[in-house]
Amino acid sequence: MDSFRLLLDGFATALTVQNLLYALLGVTLGTLVGVLPGIGPAMTVALLLPITFTVPPASAFIMFAGIYYGGMYGGSTTSILLNTPGESSSMITALEGNKMARRGRAAQALATAAIGSFVAGTIATALLVVAAPAVVDFAISFGPEDYFALAVLAFIMCSAVLSRSLVRGLASLGIGLAIGLVGIDQQTGQARLTLGIPQLLDGIDVVIIAVGLFAVGEALYVASRLRHASPDVVPVGRAWMGRADWSRSWRPWLRGTALGFPIGALPGGGAEIPTFLSYAVEKRLTRHKDEFGSGAIEGVAGPEAANNASAAGTLVPLLSLGLPTSATAAIMLAAFQQYGLQPGPQLFTHNPALVWGMVASLFVGNVMLLVLNLPLAPLWARLLRIPRPYLYAGIVFFAGLGCYAVNNSWVDLVILFVLGLLGFAMRRFGLPIAPAVIGVILGPMAEIQLRRALAIGAGDATVLVRSPIAAVLLTVAVLALLAPLLRRRISRDVPSEVRR
Amino acid sequence: MANAGLRQKSELVLAGLVLGLGIFVIAGTAGITAAGSAIGLGPRFFPFLVGGALIIVGGCYIADVLRGGRGDPEESEDVDESAGSDWRAVALVGGVFLGFALLLDLLGFIVAGALLFAGVAWALGARGLPRTMAVAVVLSLGSYLIFVKGMGVTLPAGILEGVI
Repeated sequence: MDSFRLLLDGFATALTVQNLLYALLGVTLGTLVGVLPGIGPAMTVALLLPITFTVPPASAFIMFAGIYYGGMYGGSTTSILLNTPGESSSMITALEGNKMARRGRAAQALATAAIGSFVAGTIATALLVVAAPAVVDFAISFGPEDYFALAVLAFIMCSAVLSRSLVRGLASLGIGLAIGLVGIDQQTGQARLTLGIPQLLDGIDVVIIAVGLFAVGEALYVASRLRHASPDVVPVGRAWMGRADWSRSWRPWLRGTALGFPIGALPGGGAEIPTFLSYAVEKRLTRHKDEFGSGAIEGVAGPEAANNASAAGTLVPLLSLGLPTSATAAIMLAAFQQYGLQPGPQLFTHNPALVWGMVASLFVGNVMLLVLNLPLAPLWARLLRIPRPYLYAGIVFFAGLGCYAVNNSWVDLVILFVLGLLGFAMRRFGLPIAPAVIGVILGPMAEIQLRRALAIGAGDATVLVRSPIAAVLLTVAVLALLAPLLRRRISRDVPSEVRR
Repeated sequence: MANAGLRQKSELVLAGLVLGLGIFVIAGTAGITAAGSAIGLGPRFFPFLVGGALIIVGGCYIADVLRGGRGDPEESEDVDESAGSDWRAVALVGGVFLGFALLLDLLGFIVAGALLFAGVAWALGARGLPRTMAVAVVLSLGSYLIFVKGMGVTLPAGILEGVI
């Protein structure tokens, strides 16, 4: 059990007083920002990314892991207590959770979500400990053509599966790839697409791209059609649940974990599909079918567990292959790159303390989140009443602060604004943001691997499919272009009001 | 919906931009004259692929919009999908932000940041200007102290140089 020993070393790193404080700061900030309406996990991570740059790498990633899990917890509180539709991965939680809250069972809904997230997060993180080194052992022999094929697979999967329209997903991906081209070509030193602006020679910083597309784009989009009615928040006390709720919750938690972890680890799997599947499964298996649609606890417990387990699942390809499978994971990859670290097999051999410290802190963060969330639910609920003009002004304020601090340049703020306009247009016309972010971050790596592979093959393009792994991955990528059809079949099991 | 035609037209603009971006990527990298042939592929190869893909996807996107396809606007907790677009608010938020970008180095973060917060909040319909200003000043001053004095981030002091 080599990874078990490394994990123990990781706990030794994570359990120092200083790193415990960073973990606590991370989960608190993550929950705080994640609970704010309009801010999903990806934007939470993007907005808080600049803060982590001032601390040493190991502590930064411990804090970052806390932010990631905290953002997931915070999002479920929002969807249960606020009676408006949110982003897609928490839509299912809102469906049953909000109905429960309206029937006076808000405390139980929050409790099953928080405890379910804890159970799923802990099991899924344990699975990560087992799975990631196994993938590393497998990937150690990967050549550049295999990495290129992996990147192509991730591109196609996120465009085809994460969006409802294939052409819009691909358009978003292409925009991201084009943004990723800006700057000096790493192999030849030639400037590309810089428009003669010297600040663009180093490329556009990932923080600015992520914050622009997510935070500024969202603020402009909300400005265009802000709901002016005062927010409708369900009042809640301390989160708790009784014996009957426990006995109805534990099986959905485990089933949700079983669905969420593997699907989250697949390219393009994301959090949305496992939550939909979990909802469909629970609806079929429940003995309280009459309650579904009016607040069934199984419909909160299962999807919430699936949501959190998928978050741990996305860390498997991210840490072991350097492959982001969701927008949040892409931003985490960018965080590694900011420290000059490249996730993949080498990260496990060269920086074991950092990787295992981060994994250990996921366990620690999960415990902290459970302790924070059960008694503090009323406090988080109060955040939901924050006046919307203040909320979005605050988002724009911190977006400006964080992006200026990257390079101390006002030109970055103008670029941030232009990207914000792009994010606004994409939201308005239903172009998903995730493929663009994955394209920006994974595009340059795909290019390097492609050129490396073709250089090895001396210009012979068949080198790209000579390795069986690459051939299989590229075949799957082609098949994935047909996935939207499959997806439509899945969504038939989900009530039509969810799909609109 | 009365403005469906207008919506289709503006979505066509976005689809056209995708196609135009593809042409821009290819044209913008065509002039690069790096000797890449010796080591395989030069800096123009990958942009050529991306640009070509954008042109094809942009073409399909235009065709999709013309055939009546439309993307679903993103859902968010604070978005009222039935409301018409409030272009005045968007323009005000944009203007305030650009003003912040241009005046930041001159005014310093505390003043410019407070104006940014107050301006955006006002554009979004915050009530009570004195209260908004007070929140803005506290937020901006507090952030400056935490980030600059506490975490060592560099932000411009501007006109308050020496005072704080």
